[in-house]
Amino acid sequence: MGAMFHLAIKDLKLLWRDKVGFFWVLGFPLLIALFFGSIYSGAGSATARSMKIAVITDNMNPTVQSFYDQLGKSDVLVLTPMPLDSARPLVAQGKLAAYVQYIDSSKSAFDMFSGHKPHIKVGIDPSRKAEAGYLNGLLNQAFFMQLQSRFTDVKGWRRYLKDQRQSWDSIGTGWNSKLGMDFFEKLDGVLESAEKIDSAYAMKSDSASDSVSEKNYSPFAALDVAYEDVAVIWAGPRSSFEITFPQSLQWALIAAAAAFSLSIVTERTRGTFLRLRIAPISRMQILGGKGLACFIFCVGVCSLLMAVGILIFGVGVASWTYLILAILAGGICFVGVMMLISVMGKTEAAVSGAGWAVMLVMAMIGGGMMPLMFMPSWLKSISHLSPIKWGILALEGSIWRGFGFGEMILPLAVLVGVGVVGFIIGTMILSRSDG
Amino acid sequence: MLKHETWHKFGRNKLSMIRVTNLKKAFGAIRAVDDISFEIPDNQVFGLLGPNGAGKTTTINLIVGIINADAGSVAINGENDPTRTHLRRRIGAAPQALAIYDNLSAEENLAFFGKLYGLSGKKLKERVDWCLDLAGLQDRRRDRVGKYSGGMKRRLNMACAIVHDPPILLLDEPTVGVDPQSRNMIFDRIEMLKNDGRTIVYTTHYMEEAQRLCDRVAIIDHGKILAEGTIDSLIETHGGMGTVNAELELPVPENAKLPAELNENRLSFESSQPLQDIAALADAGVKYRSLRVERPNLEKVFLNLTGRRLRD
Ligand SMILES: Nc1ncnc2c1ncn2[C@@H]1O[C@H](COP(=O)(O)OP(=O)(O)OP(=O)(O)O)[C@@H](O)[C@H]1O
Ligand SMILES: [Mg+2]
Repeated sequence: MGAMFHLAIKDLKLLWRDKVGFFWVLGFPLLIALFFGSIYSGAGSATARSMKIAVITDNMNPTVQSFYDQLGKSDVLVLTPMPLDSARPLVAQGKLAAYVQYIDSSKSAFDMFSGHKPHIKVGIDPSRKAEAGYLNGLLNQAFFMQLQSRFTDVKGWRRYLKDQRQSWDSIGTGWNSKLGMDFFEKLDGVLESAEKIDSAYAMKSDSASDSVSEKNYSPFAALDVAYEDVAVIWAGPRSSFEITFPQSLQWALIAAAAAFSLSIVTERTRGTFLRLRIAPISRMQILGGKGLACFIFCVGVCSLLMAVGILIFGVGVASWTYLILAILAGGICFVGVMMLISVMGKTEAAVSGAGWAVMLVMAMIGGGMMPLMFMPSWLKSISHLSPIKWGILALEGSIWRGFGFGEMILPLAVLVGVGVVGFIIGTMILSRSDG
Repeated sequence: MLKHETWHKFGRNKLSMIRVTNLKKAFGAIRAVDDISFEIPDNQVFGLLGPNGAGKTTTINLIVGIINADAGSVAINGENDPTRTHLRRRIGAAPQALAIYDNLSAEENLAFFGKLYGLSGKKLKERVDWCLDLAGLQDRRRDRVGKYSGGMKRRLNMACAIVHDPPILLLDEPTVGVDPQSRNMIFDRIEMLKNDGRTIVYTTHYMEEAQRLCDRVAIIDHGKILAEGTIDSLIETHGGMGTVNAELELPVPENAKLPAELNENRLSFESSQPLQDIAALADAGVKYRSLRVERPNLEKVFLNLTGRRLRD
């Protein structure tokens, strides 16, 4: 074990010092992830630019309608009216970012000035904190705009006053003075509200950019937003990066397998392999050291790429356990692929040529270039032959497919199987060719 | 300066350190090693002298057990299987191809190979230092090997074989492609290693090297050993006669009996006792303008044995 460890450390050191080789295993896959990620998503990040939400149509009235109309004026939101029962599952599947329900129990649109509080229910995944804050700002803005339009609606005011007068009349003269007082109180309340709105509006335009992402920002105390946690079970990738990062990991694995298989041939042609065989270590230790180095490297690079995807490009993780298993299984798989490739020729040129040819085909049919979902069905069925397909599937299962154990076990088993069988066959061929 | 702990632990119990018996190895139709036998006593430098393709490297590979013989056996200190771990620890081999990592420094190469032999800590550091001294690479110890000259790489290639302080050293053409200065340095080091008490196998196709370094030499061609022995005994048995080349003053006295025809004023003849013949001619009144006597050497031995020169 000690010797294997020394051998692995040596190989990792050698690869680390080969800067060009390093580009292929780290830089190139990252470029693939970013390049295709931004191509597939149109322009930049899709999630930040537009948010698809449902507006709940269960209890519609003119006030609710006018609020939704206001909300729809935002360029950021794409509204789909639907009943609550349809909206909730769509949010849970991640197809909609949230649903918004405006609950208004007032009889008149102008009751909002009479101390009556409308309230809003938002259903959103608790992990989508940024979106929730953003949405909150937009809701407040819409509510405020709705109020403002009421103020300038003179007809509406007169209708309101008329309604009020009628209600005094019906109650009777004995109460007139008391009701008159009431009316002035109400008017006072309105003016007070208008004042609040004015000052809030001034505040808002001062710090517009901050306020939208501020969850607690509320220009109008009357707006009462309640949140309902709708935990999302991802049913699709949230962004194109959730497709391209699993692909990019495959490219890193391919490059790592190419680099290490080449290093085996280089050791054989350069004679260092001979020196290793003269040393008091077994052949299994020598090849095990290679395998170990390749495995450590694969897992390291994959973890690094995934960290970039998660931390910078918002790739989500449905199950950390499965993600770790997928990365480990991918590493094992490519150790086997690496061993097989290393015996495909006796010279560096032969092995590197054969290796890239084989792996490019593997990547092509396995969805490493074009995502499987875009492929014609005949190609999809061939793709089962490529370990790349299983590697991507395992990663996607842990990122956005929300795989359970039963679904994860197949791709993981295929990857580990390819790794073990490849390592055994490669080792056997290598032993035989050394005479 | 040189200490050999492992050496004494080896427990030498046989007179011959390496014994090769009827060894055979063919690659397809090529009989690379064809029924070779020799014995190398303890603390000797044994030379395998032969032209390209003679089977020297194959013999070395058979001795260390990295290729399997078709027939015959190899015994190291009386033990038969050279792949046994405790025997491997006592053998150091510098392959003919430069078997070092270009992207590691000299120090890192030595440390890496040392670790494979179980060295660590202070002991490893000492050995690495010792080897860097031996290879004359102390001042370049941290430079990547890729930036070294051919001679420096050769010296490191040899040093990597000694880092674990083995009592048996197999050096396969350790001077290929080096300048005379590096070559002299390598010779000095090999002599030093021998004076330490090591047993050394040295392959070469330079007869001068064999003549300078080796106690015994086996001349090998087409996988067979043509002759084996000390240098003197080889020359005596296979070197043939010495050659005398002289330019004489003309005319030559008539009573002087020349052993060969004159070519203008030049006389050239072979003799088993050249000095006596020269003196006898001088007594008869022959006057020499110039005189050169060539003693037979290993080159001559090879020529006599094969009808070919060592190098074409
Ligand atoms: N792995 C191999 N496969 C096939 N033939 C081989 C192999 N190794 C050596 N040979 C052949 O065996 C013969 C002896 O080769 P070997 O390398 O032992 O010669 P050598 O004496 O070391 O020559 P050189 O001075 O050029 O190093 C050569 O004809 C060579 O072509
Ligand atoms: Mg050779």
